[in-house]
Amino acid sequence: MNAVNFASVSRKTILYSIIILVFAIFSVRLFQMQIVNHEIYDEKSAGNSIKPIEQIPLRGVFYDRNMNVLVDNIPAYTLRITPADYDTSLNKILDKVLGVNPGYVASILKRNQIYSRFIPIRIRRGIDFQIVSWLEENSEFLPGVDYIVEMQRGYPFGVMGSHLFGYTKEISSQQLEKEKDYYRPGDYVGHNGIEKQYEKDLRGEKGFHYVLVDSRRREIGRYKDGAKDKESIKGRDLILSIDGDVQKVAEEEFKGRRGAVVAIEPSTGEILALVSAPEYDLNQFSYITTKDFLQELYSDPDKPLFNRATMSLKPPGSTFKILAAIAALDLGIIDVNTTIYCGGGFTFGRFFKCHGSHGSVNVIHAIEKSCNTFFYNLIYKIGLERWKEYAIKFGFNRKTGIDIGEEAAGFIPDESYYKKLYGENWPRSIMASLGIGQGEVSVTPLQLAKYAALIANDGKSFSPHIVKGYLDNRAGEIVPFHFDEIDLKIKKEVFDVVKQGMFLVVQGSGTATHLRNPEYHISGKTGTAQNPHGKDHAFFIGFAPSENPKIAVAVVVENVGFGGTYAAPIAKKMMDAYLLKDKLKNQKQKDQQPIIAGARVED
Amino acid sequence: MRIDYKISDKFDFKIFIPVLILTIIGLAAVYSSTLNNPQATDNFERQLLFTLVAYVVFFITYALPTNTFKLISGPSYIFALLLLVVVLIAGKRVSGAKSWLAFGSIGFQPSEFAKIATILLLANFLTRLNNNIDSFKDILISLMIGFIPVGLIMLEPDMGTSFIFISFILIILFWKGISLLGLFVVLSPGFVAIASLFGSVPFIASLVVVLVVLFFFKRDLFFNGSVFAINLAAGFFTDNLYNALSPHQQARIKSFIDPMSDPLGSGYNSIQAMVAIGSGGLFGKGYLQGNQTQLQYIPEQWTDFIYCAIGEEFGFIGAMTVLSLFLIIFIRLLNIASTSKDEFLSIVVIGIFGVYFTHFLINVGMVIGILPIIGVPLPFVSYGGSSMLLNMFMLGIVLNIFRTRKNYA
Repeated sequence: MNAVNFASVSRKTILYSIIILVFAIFSVRLFQMQIVNHEIYDEKSAGNSIKPIEQIPLRGVFYDRNMNVLVDNIPAYTLRITPADYDTSLNKILDKVLGVNPGYVASILKRNQIYSRFIPIRIRRGIDFQIVSWLEENSEFLPGVDYIVEMQRGYPFGVMGSHLFGYTKEISSQQLEKEKDYYRPGDYVGHNGIEKQYEKDLRGEKGFHYVLVDSRRREIGRYKDGAKDKESIKGRDLILSIDGDVQKVAEEEFKGRRGAVVAIEPSTGEILALVSAPEYDLNQFSYITTKDFLQELYSDPDKPLFNRATMSLKPPGSTFKILAAIAALDLGIIDVNTTIYCGGGFTFGRFFKCHGSHGSVNVIHAIEKSCNTFFYNLIYKIGLERWKEYAIKFGFNRKTGIDIGEEAAGFIPDESYYKKLYGENWPRSIMASLGIGQGEVSVTPLQLAKYAALIANDGKSFSPHIVKGYLDNRAGEIVPFHFDEIDLKIKKEVFDVVKQGMFLVVQGSGTATHLRNPEYHISGKTGTAQNPHGKDHAFFIGFAPSENPKIAVAVVVENVGFGGTYAAPIAKKMMDAYLLKDKLKNQKQKDQQPIIAGARVED
Repeated sequence: MRIDYKISDKFDFKIFIPVLILTIIGLAAVYSSTLNNPQATDNFERQLLFTLVAYVVFFITYALPTNTFKLISGPSYIFALLLLVVVLIAGKRVSGAKSWLAFGSIGFQPSEFAKIATILLLANFLTRLNNNIDSFKDILISLMIGFIPVGLIMLEPDMGTSFIFISFILIILFWKGISLLGLFVVLSPGFVAIASLFGSVPFIASLVVVLVVLFFFKRDLFFNGSVFAINLAAGFFTDNLYNALSPHQQARIKSFIDPMSDPLGSGYNSIQAMVAIGSGGLFGKGYLQGNQTQLQYIPEQWTDFIYCAIGEEFGFIGAMTVLSLFLIIFIRLLNIASTSKDEFLSIVVIGIFGVYFTHFLINVGMVIGILPIIGVPLPFVSYGGSSMLLNMFMLGIVLNIFRTRKNYA
């Protein structure tokens, strides 16, 4: 025990062993890291320093059927802040310069706190050029503040199309969660309308530029001089079936009114115009939408965000008489010679009034005069179930499948419905109103337009739609989308009969004779739906030219009164815009020529 | 039998050449890791100057009479303590620690100088003992010589350097011949202290282990009682010490106990260092081609994380070369220590070995992710004037001892 331990061999050996052990452990560890797991670390290292920069492609634009641009991309300035370089004491100044509520900049910064401090945050889109020049002048006092030029939606053609086009908006966190393969926070996606429905066509394909970044994620150059970059692919330009002129006329006619109109090309199901009024300004959505603007839209009693064309449900009034006529004729219950006597009303349990005393009328004149008595009788002859069958054939009680998002199915009652409501012995008198489109029946304007188109084209058409196809920019041709064909399999003679009646509504002594014009013939049917909450809703369905229909229209104007007076003239103006397009253009040019000539002289 | 026929008999090339290569590799790595950093543009030039000065100091030290070192041991120790006190009062605070004395643009770390001063005095004291150090008194005096500078350095606070001190003091005591019991008395408080960091259950378990071991040494109750009391105190003291630590040091200890607790905070350097080395592969990415190094993923890589730059740019080959050079140096130091017949010089060499080896162990261990992040430089390689100067000074002492080894036979 008392041997001198100093520098003993055993102690030297222990130190040797420790050195060798440490050397061995370090060597094994290096081997494991640099040889065995090299690829894992290599990948991490590459991911560290090579940052993919998303290249957002240009969103596809919308053309109308005449290849006029309806929705375009226009450059706009976006103010950004990079939090790492930014001094929050500038918040107040920026709020003032941007003209926003105090605290706006701070609130956006706070919302983005979860992301890297080195990634710029978009503070406001679409800032004025004055603000941009102010930023330029004061850039040295505004660390971390910059602006970029981005593309935003523009509507150069003067068509509002608020419910048609929809808008683009920053992606919601819920949608981001669902589609995180493609989208990143801050991406803009289509909301509502065509923008939403055709998002995948419109958005194109993102590209990536790979850049080298340092540990603070600052860019310091291109990776391999861009050899690995993937360029973005522009979104598809959509060709809409909309006719800009018709759409514009409809929008103008609906200014200051509530209601909806849908126009369809009968042979194709292509929608020529679709308006829901009141509209709202889509330009407002191109910017980072202010809360005030949204609040205003939500609280407006006229509900401008509500798409009346596809969502509003109302009893269609007398426009539904055609349906009963077709059912009765097709089922052979009546023929063109069958007459019913109208002495000013109809008694079934109680008395149902007609608006006149039409005497003995056949189906053609019943339509012309919109005789209630005829159709009160007819519905009992057809029976509720068979009547509903025909309604469903024409597309009521279900969605049309139009290619813009939200849509209501509407409602057509049947026996089981009344049984549930009133019991086994439900009062059969309820049925009478259905014959004239009143009571428990509810339809959308879009369904009515489809109905009008099917009548116009003798029961054959395509599922109503707004987008015809897209423009293949490389091949320079239009690639069409395909839509379901509709064939009601109803005899042409049946349509011939009801169309005679609809012809006389305008051209005879019917309810819309004021639409008569020297250029072309219009067929139609007016309707007036009683409204317990105020004035009646005015309805009109029709098509023109009567002999070879090119346009079918359904118009609903809320709370104005008689259909022939308020709804029919709007349809007429739209038909003019569509059918007399060249003539109207020439007219316009003639009117404007002197002015243009004058301008040329000045040039 | 002994004929002075070669210069290699007077100058140990086996240790000098590896050090020379390491300093060259170090300069290359410092150049690479500061190349793209605007805050460190002149660091390479400075390091080049430091290295040249350090080599001059090395040769002067080499040529001094060997007994100088024993003579200066007392005064230099007192001078070192003085500097350590001055630095606490007038030092410059760099990244949380007051460890720098600034003279114009040149900074100096007194703790670097304190290392060799402590080694010299400790060697001097231990040489006076004729036999093994077994008595409580001897151990206590030895520990006091060692732990006064440690205490001052902990106040800076510089944990890394404190660790180095504790480590080389233990190696010196071990070399001098401390008995197993003595070693146990010295080591057990540290063991208990570390255990207490992991929570109260490991703390109590470690105390039980201490009790069992004490039982086997079969000493009297008073002895056992005092040792156990010291251990108990060490455990509770650690808790207080931990609370006294700055938050970033606490975070480092936490991230060692659970490395993934904070991958973006104190775990960040560790992860990035491992990525740098692992991605180097067999041959490395090429000099000046390492993206981790060139893109500054590791802050101040030229100091404590210099080994990453080598591992990334020169790969497994480069990393192993550095390891092997150190291996040669360590074995050579051990040989010189054991062949030196003079006890004082032998202990000095083993103390210097202790400093180099602990630096190497902690630095490389932390960079390759098997030890916690404790900021100590890699000898001869890392950027830093004070450490380069003192390391070369110590190497001068070693080669001086080698030169005159036969005179003390």
